[in-house]
Amino acid sequence: MAAVAVHQFAQCITCHAWSPDRTMVAFCPNNNELHIYKFIKDRWEKLHVLYKHDQIISGIDWSMRSNKIVTVSHDRNSYVWNQEASEWVPTLVILRLNRAALCVQWSPKENKFAVGSGAKTVCVCYYEQENNWWVSKLIRKKHNSSVTGVAWHPNNILLATTSTDGKCRVFSTFIKGVDPRDSGASSSNELKFGEQIAQLDLSFTWAFGVKWSPNGNTLAYAGHNSMIYFIEDVESSPSAQTVAFRDLPLRDVLFVSERMLIGVGFDCNPLVFAADETGLWSFVKFLDEKKTAQSSSKYGSQFSEAFGKLYGQSKHGASNDAVEPSRPRGGVHENCITCIVPLRKGGETVVKRFSTSGLDGKLAIWELDDYIDLPQ
Amino acid sequence: MAAEGFLEVENLEAIITRIEQKSRKIESLLKQSKPVEALKTALEGSPLKTRDERCKSANWIVVHRAIMAIKDVDGMLASLDPEYYDILMKYLYRGLATGDRPTCDQCLRIHEKLTERAGLGCILRSLADTVNTV
Repeated sequence: MAAVAVHQFAQCITCHAWSPDRTMVAFCPNNNELHIYKFIKDRWEKLHVLYKHDQIISGIDWSMRSNKIVTVSHDRNSYVWNQEASEWVPTLVILRLNRAALCVQWSPKENKFAVGSGAKTVCVCYYEQENNWWVSKLIRKKHNSSVTGVAWHPNNILLATTSTDGKCRVFSTFIKGVDPRDSGASSSNELKFGEQIAQLDLSFTWAFGVKWSPNGNTLAYAGHNSMIYFIEDVESSPSAQTVAFRDLPLRDVLFVSERMLIGVGFDCNPLVFAADETGLWSFVKFLDEKKTAQSSSKYGSQFSEAFGKLYGQSKHGASNDAVEPSRPRGGVHENCITCIVPLRKGGETVVKRFSTSGLDGKLAIWELDDYIDLPQ
Repeated sequence: MAAEGFLEVENLEAIITRIEQKSRKIESLLKQSKPVEALKTALEGSPLKTRDERCKSANWIVVHRAIMAIKDVDGMLASLDPEYYDILMKYLYRGLATGDRPTCDQCLRIHEKLTERAGLGCILRSLADTVNTV
């Protein structure tokens, strides 16, 4: 199967997010602007270009029920955008950061959002009705380096973070007055804001792209060493599986069901990972078959040229004229995929469609065939 | 979350002794024309977690001996357990770093085939892992 739709929106896309009805997409074309496009009839029309941030917008999230867009930027600020009539009105959120904000995600109940930053802190922001503004609470401890990814557990309290110090951590973000006391927290630890529930020391390299599975049982994150880590039962007795795979590292992951995950990264092609009946995860295949079929060279044109020169040396300095010239990859994406977002219809628990965007400025929509074994 | 024996404080002398034993075993395997067995023995139990340079150098000498004795690279890789791919890749890079012509030629020859088998991820893991070094 291949992508069902591909569109070149810009030269490079930093991140993107979909509107609740999935007709509009918001993205940042690697500058300080927020672009919103709508699919009208058969074309993408540019609806808005919102200028508020001073630097690159590194994270965008669009809440499904309350229809609010949150953006965070390298300028250390965050804006929550509300749609009033046909305009988007920004509200500044003072994050109290002294370094760039790197990622953002709305919580499942959409009453909070979390921001990871280069200041080794995580901001958890909630709305204060009396003052009509968003307040930021910081988790300052524990992280030794930039926080590259944040992910909310379905219970709206636990937050997982990945960092360039190689570790994945789970914190409680319980806020009195915002979260109900009996919110299903299993231990008293979980009732204290900023309390670290678990620290996962599996990777010795930068960690990216953390996500929880749909019912919160499994946590997955990618390391920069071409490995992906799956952890079950994080709160009680964590058991981890490390899957080392053949190809280039991942930047982001997405659970399409409890037992299937899609990873995207430097291979410009989504990777499918699945767990068998015993719960053992492994790499299944690349999603975009076009790429693996077309290139006859072993690693892909870009690498074979470089390797050709390198291996040519070992034949006692004779120049290797049999090197294939570089040719375009032929796959959907031509550069690293940095962002993967689900396109859920209504109350679906299994994700059948998702979109990817990357450094090549393309946004691709993928659909999973029913017969690709979607367990559960 | 149990860490993987990271804080193993093994006696450095014990490690060196073990490497010496490995060396003798490898010599005998090579005399019996079993270069693949020799390489497996050399790679097993490598002192990745210690920071002591002496241990690492001692193990490198042993691994180097085994690597240089390989004539049939394809055959070797076909029978080598995939769990050894990552550590073999790390030693190949150490070999390439020596600058010594015969060593580099051999390492490059093996590198080409190993990359075909193990993929670019194997190279990434040898580059990215700054904790378990050879």
